[in-house]
Amino acid sequence: MNNDFLLLMPMLLVGIGGIGLMIASTYESITHERMAISGMGLFGVAFLFQLGNTVAHPTIPYEQVFNGMLVVSDFTRASGMIILGCGLATCMSAYTYFKQNPFCTSEFYSLIAFSACGMLLLTMAQELISVFIALEIMSLAIYILVGYNRQSQTATEAVLKYLMLGAFAGAFFTMGAALIYGGAGSTKFTEISASISANGYAGNAALIGGSFLVIVAFLFKVAAFPFHAWVTDVYEGASTPITGFMATALKTAVFAVFANFLVLNNGLHEGWINGLFYISILTMFVGNLVAIGQESLKRMLAASGIVHSGYLLIALVAINTEQFTGGVIAYYLAAYSVGTLGIFAALSYLGGEDEKRMNFADFKGLAKVRPYSAAAITIFLLSMAGIPPTAGFMGKFYIITSAISAGQIALAVFGIISSILSMWYYLRLIVNMYFHDAVDTFETDTCHKMAPVCTMVLALCVFAIGLYPIII
Amino acid sequence: MIHSYLMVSVILFCIGMLGVISRRNVFTVFMSIELMLNAANLAFVAFSRLHESMDGHVLALMVMAVAAAEAALALAVVILLHKHKGKLDTNVFSLLKG
Repeated sequence: MNNDFLLLMPMLLVGIGGIGLMIASTYESITHERMAISGMGLFGVAFLFQLGNTVAHPTIPYEQVFNGMLVVSDFTRASGMIILGCGLATCMSAYTYFKQNPFCTSEFYSLIAFSACGMLLLTMAQELISVFIALEIMSLAIYILVGYNRQSQTATEAVLKYLMLGAFAGAFFTMGAALIYGGAGSTKFTEISASISANGYAGNAALIGGSFLVIVAFLFKVAAFPFHAWVTDVYEGASTPITGFMATALKTAVFAVFANFLVLNNGLHEGWINGLFYISILTMFVGNLVAIGQESLKRMLAASGIVHSGYLLIALVAINTEQFTGGVIAYYLAAYSVGTLGIFAALSYLGGEDEKRMNFADFKGLAKVRPYSAAAITIFLLSMAGIPPTAGFMGKFYIITSAISAGQIALAVFGIISSILSMWYYLRLIVNMYFHDAVDTFETDTCHKMAPVCTMVLALCVFAIGLYPIII
Repeated sequence: MIHSYLMVSVILFCIGMLGVISRRNVFTVFMSIELMLNAANLAFVAFSRLHESMDGHVLALMVMAVAAAEAALALAVVILLHKHKGKLDTNVFSLLKG
């Protein structure tokens, strides 16, 4: 009983901490710097709790109270750690970012805590309506964060676009849940699985239609191929630390629940392998095409996020529903999150006032003026491109080998081709930073070192995560 | 019997979907999304009757609560948009072209 409480502790801590921060923000004396520090403390403590929770096999906390709606496993623990780490890094980079872009109020950090709470719930939820509610807790907080700069027209347009499409996807999800409830008689994953095993999957129209709608909603949230157009606009409109948070923590949470949903029964996974096969190939190549044409760094990173979703979809095609551990997916998410968050942390302080440096051309000659920042960005880009000995290489290696061992040779080959294509736009920024003369002085508000420290720590993490499987 | 209820639900869902795709007014778009959520609620309640369990009713209530929260946020966004442009037509919001 006591152990159950500890398993849910990170989520409760972040949720209650978010409410506490919201109340604290009403006091005049509490500045947003103090709130940022408390936010970091909150995420740090929750991260340590999540690290301390060891889960040998999947456990159901408070089975009587929650009716088995939440399941904690090693996979949810790992994704929870990624989400909390992203929260910590976002608070750190936001601290410096808001020194140069003064539109922060202290509620900002409580909203990050609320969305992280929703994400943690999302990774653990094993029931469709719990998934829907967790998805909405997460999304509602993220919508507000995207439109946080109320003076900016681009931010307002971004939140309109995201809210309209996000609510649309949410409606798809509820309709899917309703149809699955009709087909299987329950919305709990275990009972849906039992119903599929007893009555079969292929002949049940309500189940097929329902799972189609649910998968469409998930594909929308991770910006996979037919539903990827919103992502570049929304990422461009949002403020830099929030873009980093959306690109990493949100994707981690949604992929965790996507994997949990697909592995609930072998029949369901088999039924969608072909569809996901084509979607993952198209996602990778369309993402690359979009990324190559971009001039803005944020849009390029958004498009490269689409490509990374494609790799993760390969891992979803290749999962083994009988012995699902989620290790490959969690590892790739960790590697991707560290790289992306690092670049966004660096952009948070290099961007300058009103995000004036955001294009490839603005970063010409960065290495001559700020060699350490340029080196850190290079490390992140090489990790995202998948060059050894970084974390990104190991992540891609695991995904490709899992695809080969699942018999999906074609997917493995396409994955490698796409990763070679993606070098083009990653190397372009490196070339800009190292092989041009500096035109800009890159002066920033130097008295606040929070984001630079965060960048350097994440750069070390790239190697730490990359070497982790070798040491263990 | 269940077929008629389901048919109504699917028709409502499709009307909502068409509204989101074709309408240009922000309000109408959000109303269409509410319509889609209500179509799902109708399906929940109808299936609940079919399975003779109360689960579906509870789930429909949950969906309504979430829809209300979403509507509150949507209205706040509409006010923000109106402050910027003075119009609620989605065609005038064209700074971001992806």
